[in-house]
Amino acid sequence: MGVLIALGLLIYFPGRKMAREHVNTKTAVSDHPLLCSKCHLYTSENALVSKLLNEDYYSPFNLAISKDGSRLYVVAQEANSLLVVDVEKQQIINKIKVGNQPHTVILSKNGQKAYVSNQWSDNVSVVDLIAAKVVDTLKTGNGPAGLSLSADGQFLYVVNSYASTISLIDLKSGEELKRFTTGNNPTGVNLSPDEKTLLITSRRAIIAPYGEPVVSELTEIDERTQRVTNRHNIESAYMMENVAFTPAGDLAIVSLNRPKNLVPSIQVEQGWMMNYGIAIVEQKKNGRVIQLLLDEPNAFYPDPFGIAITPDGKKAFVSSSGVNCISVVNIDSIRSLISKSTTEELNSLSNNLGISDHYISKRITTGSDPKGLVISHDGKRLYVAEQLEDKIAIINSETFDKIGSIDLNGPKRITVNRTGRRLFNNSGHTFQNQFSCYTCHPDMHEDGLVYNMAAKDMGRNLTNTQSLREIHHTPPYKWNGKNQTVYKQDGIRFSTVLTRTEQFNYPDLDAITAYILTGIQYPPNLQFNPSGVLTKSQQQGKKIFERKTDNYGAAIPVNNRCITCHNPPYYTNLKLADVGTLAASDDSTQFDTPHLNNIYASAPYLHDGRAATLEEIWTKYGQTDKHGKVNDLTKIQLNDLIDFLKSLRAPRYEKKSTK
Amino acid sequence: MNGMLIFTRSAVKMQNINYITGLSWRYSPKTQIVAIDPDKKDSTVQILSEDFFSARNPQISYDGNFMLFTAQRKPNDPWQIWEMNLRNFTSRQVISSNENCIDPAYLPGDKLVFSKLDLNDTCKGGYSLYTCQLDGSSIHRITFNPHSYFASSLLKDGRILTISRQVYPDNGVQKLMVLRPDGTKCDIFYELTEGSTLLSQATETANGKLIFIEKTQSLATGGSLVSIRYNRPLHSRDNLSSGIVGEFLSVSKQISGKLIVSYRKSDADRYALYEFDPEKKILGNVIYENSGYDILESVVVEKQEIPKKLPSEVDTAVKTGQLLCQDINVIKDQSQSRSIASQLSRIEVLGIDSILGVVKAEQDGSFYLKIIADKPFRIKTIDSNGKLIQGLSDWIWLRPNERRGCIGCHNDHELAPQNLVPIAVKKLPVSLPIHVMKIVEKKISSE
Amino acid sequence: MDKIIRKFTMRKYLRYYSVMLGSVILMFVVSCGNRTPHSNSDQRNKSATDNSEQEAVENYHAGSDLAGDTKPLPIYGNWHNFTTKDGLPSDKAYCVRIAGARVLVGTHDGLAVYEKGKWTTYTTKDGLPHNGVVSIDVSAVTGDVWIGTLGGLSCWSGGKFETFNQLNSGLPNDLIYCVICDQKDVWVATAGGAGHYDTYSKEWEIFTEKNAPMHEPWTYGVSAGAGKIYIAAWGGGVIEYTSKSKQFKDYTDPDGEMEIDLLPDDGIVHDVTTATSWANGYLWVSTYFGLSRYDGTHWKGFFDHDCGLASNFINFVRAKGSVVFVCTDRGLSCTNGRSWVTYKKNDNNKDGMAVVLNYGRADDDTKNKSTREIPLSPSISHNFTIGVDADGDKLWVATSQGVSCGQLLK
Repeated sequence: MGVLIALGLLIYFPGRKMAREHVNTKTAVSDHPLLCSKCHLYTSENALVSKLLNEDYYSPFNLAISKDGSRLYVVAQEANSLLVVDVEKQQIINKIKVGNQPHTVILSKNGQKAYVSNQWSDNVSVVDLIAAKVVDTLKTGNGPAGLSLSADGQFLYVVNSYASTISLIDLKSGEELKRFTTGNNPTGVNLSPDEKTLLITSRRAIIAPYGEPVVSELTEIDERTQRVTNRHNIESAYMMENVAFTPAGDLAIVSLNRPKNLVPSIQVEQGWMMNYGIAIVEQKKNGRVIQLLLDEPNAFYPDPFGIAITPDGKKAFVSSSGVNCISVVNIDSIRSLISKSTTEELNSLSNNLGISDHYISKRITTGSDPKGLVISHDGKRLYVAEQLEDKIAIINSETFDKIGSIDLNGPKRITVNRTGRRLFNNSGHTFQNQFSCYTCHPDMHEDGLVYNMAAKDMGRNLTNTQSLREIHHTPPYKWNGKNQTVYKQDGIRFSTVLTRTEQFNYPDLDAITAYILTGIQYPPNLQFNPSGVLTKSQQQGKKIFERKTDNYGAAIPVNNRCITCHNPPYYTNLKLADVGTLAASDDSTQFDTPHLNNIYASAPYLHDGRAATLEEIWTKYGQTDKHGKVNDLTKIQLNDLIDFLKSLRAPRYEKKSTK
Repeated sequence: MNGMLIFTRSAVKMQNINYITGLSWRYSPKTQIVAIDPDKKDSTVQILSEDFFSARNPQISYDGNFMLFTAQRKPNDPWQIWEMNLRNFTSRQVISSNENCIDPAYLPGDKLVFSKLDLNDTCKGGYSLYTCQLDGSSIHRITFNPHSYFASSLLKDGRILTISRQVYPDNGVQKLMVLRPDGTKCDIFYELTEGSTLLSQATETANGKLIFIEKTQSLATGGSLVSIRYNRPLHSRDNLSSGIVGEFLSVSKQISGKLIVSYRKSDADRYALYEFDPEKKILGNVIYENSGYDILESVVVEKQEIPKKLPSEVDTAVKTGQLLCQDINVIKDQSQSRSIASQLSRIEVLGIDSILGVVKAEQDGSFYLKIIADKPFRIKTIDSNGKLIQGLSDWIWLRPNERRGCIGCHNDHELAPQNLVPIAVKKLPVSLPIHVMKIVEKKISSE
Repeated sequence: MDKIIRKFTMRKYLRYYSVMLGSVILMFVVSCGNRTPHSNSDQRNKSATDNSEQEAVENYHAGSDLAGDTKPLPIYGNWHNFTTKDGLPSDKAYCVRIAGARVLVGTHDGLAVYEKGKWTTYTTKDGLPHNGVVSIDVSAVTGDVWIGTLGGLSCWSGGKFETFNQLNSGLPNDLIYCVICDQKDVWVATAGGAGHYDTYSKEWEIFTEKNAPMHEPWTYGVSAGAGKIYIAAWGGGVIEYTSKSKQFKDYTDPDGEMEIDLLPDDGIVHDVTTATSWANGYLWVSTYFGLSRYDGTHWKGFFDHDCGLASNFINFVRAKGSVVFVCTDRGLSCTNGRSWVTYKKNDNNKDGMAVVLNYGRADDDTKNKSTREIPLSPSISHNFTIGVDADGDKLWVATSQGVSCGQLLK
């Protein structure tokens, strides 16, 4: 017995010491709880473990309502379903399977059909609501999101969010008639009450060199001519998720973020990191675009998403996903403010954190991550899709009281992953709730902006936001690879220089890490590699990617071959490299070799976002041949190489194709 | 002790106090800290500060088990900070100093902030703010300008809210200032009108209000009960007691949302404790009164939500801080800003007794300075002809390694920055003063 | 050995011409500017001229009837010329395109848009990649305007210019000679090959001598018709690309580098092609040595010495229905393959004429040839024409001395 105890002690103490050292190395702190399961179980990708740990939630995202108000049609994003909800009984009466990652639902003019955009299937499901089944599937562009019917109901406009286009589909033939280019990463679309004008929002800013103003496009289509008639520049703003018109049609209101990425990230106080607001687009000739904040001097309302306007045109509701609240906007107060102010005065209000007092009537608290909004046709009720609550909140749109909640009966257990996602989407862990992880990583991806992270001195170390999709196997993290794990990335330094508030407690840090490492997936690469079969150009590009000799037959040094540093399946060797792009304003360092799957969706490129396109990496910034041997390539070969790079996709899709 | 009501009482009738220097501010002799059970009708008063000549300013720890307070053992002792274990009523001295140390407030992470009189300080202030561990170790000064700071409390966001008044070169208007516990990002929170003064610590309610007592000259010793909204403190003043005859001396909150106020109807009365409904703005029932005492302040013993524990960017190995101004042409009065936009070209940075430097603003109005840390300075703007455009700013200091941004000069605190790259940050910062090393040495030796 | 020598000669020859054409856009205005100096001597009464133009047209139509041609060529008169004095940014106009109520003109100093009687100019300040606007086409599907410049390609849509260049995209080369829209596809002919841009997938394809039957990467024209793309490849004749099968076929001059057409109608008249245009089942190909027409089976050549063509030096060709407009260095010619109308300006004044040439009914009926000259006052603004477009009753011509607009004479 004594021997056993001695043996046990001999194993225990050195073992514990080793475990402590291991945890300290991984977390970069010395007091993270020494519990193996917190990391190894939560972040396990084993199918069985994953199944046991996780749940299949509904995650309601957008919704529509029948004319009589008796039915809600709810897009359940994670269940790939359209839920038909009996409002009176407050229960789901039908669950109709649609495509992958459905985004938006709208109803036909007679209310008998629903159109559901399937963002990860590149199609729209046409649902017969009487038969409660999908009766047709319409092919769209890449990443269908917002939907709108034409004035006569004969055509369907589908916003292709990943391809930055909008498709016009003839509902009789099901054929796509035309496709217009929109702003960068569009989502929302709405038809004006006079049915003449369509406005399409975009989330990402137009890619421009760092230092140029951040400008995003609001695309305007004349529904009668079906032509793009205007591309409004919405300045100093991005992430315009949705747009709504007042019933009178005099104003359109767009939700937006006002980033401060050009300002050194030296403080959070006084709105120095990110602001949130609405754009008021006057619908008249030479109408102005006015931006007003939803924020207050010491309180911020991150990630505005849905907008719904009451039938009397008096109130607009805006869901602030990052702070679990709905802001009630008094539209008459805004009209009054606009009418008595000059354009110059209105422009100066766009950064005013106090002006919201004039038009915000109320902040209504909701469940986790409020997204889509819909108002009943009588204007009395507001329904809110609480994405991470699996509930639909019912709010009295006159008293602003929460009068009920429809439980979609998702899993009752809140898993570690779900907790992590809630933390990710919520701004509670930043000073004054100024931003959430989601703010700069929308869709858990990246926002396309370059930030001045102001290392030692301000103006140094410009940083291109990196995608968080499937980064489990691609450590280290950060552009210079200084963070060996996500635990460190989101640790004390993160709170000191970025969130500037209390750091995550360890259970929260474990949860958000688990979510980041296992809960975020790449969308399928349906635009450039839907089946795994490469096009001729992609095949040529693959050869160039893997080549060992240049066009003149000379051997390319191993370190200068694409495949050496960007080896599959993640297309990174997880090492640091010097690719000759260190800027004078960068601290001297090498670069973390980035992973390349779905790289087509991550413009701009290079650590400081200097390359607007993949081409520019090698045309403008690859002249020294330090970032791979490329200068012998013909333009055709470079195009092939880029076509191949665009074809790269997550390993799990490759596995499926192989099967 | 949970649920007990602790308060300070003074047999000596409240006198008009010197609010300017703060030397005698709120600290009168022979005050006692006592406790009652407010739920018991005839609760007896338990004197908690029997061992002290005078005691004041009870503050309850977040777990509800301890109480910080300020006390004098003997009549001529300096006021010092003590902590009492409310489970056994034993007290221990937290701070031991030759100078008055008053107005403690708990900080997350077993720390506290307090005011200490610095009479011979090079910053020429009065009471400065200090932080330390609850065991009295790691004392750090966190304010460095010629102001006096009193009655600090902690906001839920983790920042210290404190009453501040400039004392050099002349006396300024009282303000509520806010700063991080490491002394960084000190900024105005609420500004009083000329002639008004703050009498009490501000208390933050669950629904986002800050409530305090504001005295106007018309009232004898007390003031009005005023609330401001945390979200927009500079423009949300609401006099909760506007329809009530009488004077208020202090306010504290209960978990129920109701307030406890120290109030008297007239000079003839003594201050007593009353309930107050801030929503209805109605003075409620009396909680405790004693014709032999003025009740100066109160606090309920209960567990409280711990404010955020803010991380610190201060690095004492770095001897400077950095200041970025986006555009000196942005001033509070925008109409004036437009008219002078083209004229401003230089800023003059002035220390307590010397000019630290004159710096040319960039074409876009920006400037970027690296300034010796923990030294107060003010800035004025002058045009190309040397003519003064904007007078001296408030006193500013930067902590070691602190980086701070402002949008303009004397700017509107409700304005967020424009999203643009200031020309100044494309260059290295201008170091001030020129002989930095000399001053660093001086600073080190003075510490 | 013969073959090798021939190839070498051909390349040398082609390079010579390619350099010539590469600089012609910039040179033509300078070189032609002095050829037709403005003259103020002629101050004839405008209304009288209109009457005489109309009268002459009536005579022509009568003549046509006699010739048995039931669908006479349209004749345009009442010419209105626009120069910098009228608001054009430059007199050096490179191309013209009619887009509904607007007329888009590419000039040396920007894009000029004529709408409601006013010219508006867009330059690099507005987002154009280069002020030298060489080619313009309007998508019939979306209404977007695609603009080929000397420094990149631009899509003008909703008032905004989106730029593609060889550094930021798969565009073959920044020197764009021609751009066309074909449903969802955009094609460009550039100094670095032909480029195809799919506006749906936003992907580029490049065709050069490396992957298509071309001799050199230089391409100068491109057009679309009946599911095919026709690329005018410098020194390579015409490259036909079938969109569906992605197959190429090339049409070259059987006479090789000969400047004269040894065997008539045996193929394309010359390999140095400048433009192609397809309409009504015919492909029209312009070269610096004459005009070619292809009906899918047979080629037919047209030369200035045996028809009404103004000059064999053809800058551009555009077919609209049964009529083809041919821009030459000596005026603008229009033909339906049988009859010809050529607009020429007098060397010494603003006036000129429309030379109408009719043939008999049979293709070889040269005996019944009739020629008429219809006086025009004013005429087109310069004989060096390089761009043309017709729509409804308007004909617009881009010349080295401004832009001309003619009205269809009834």
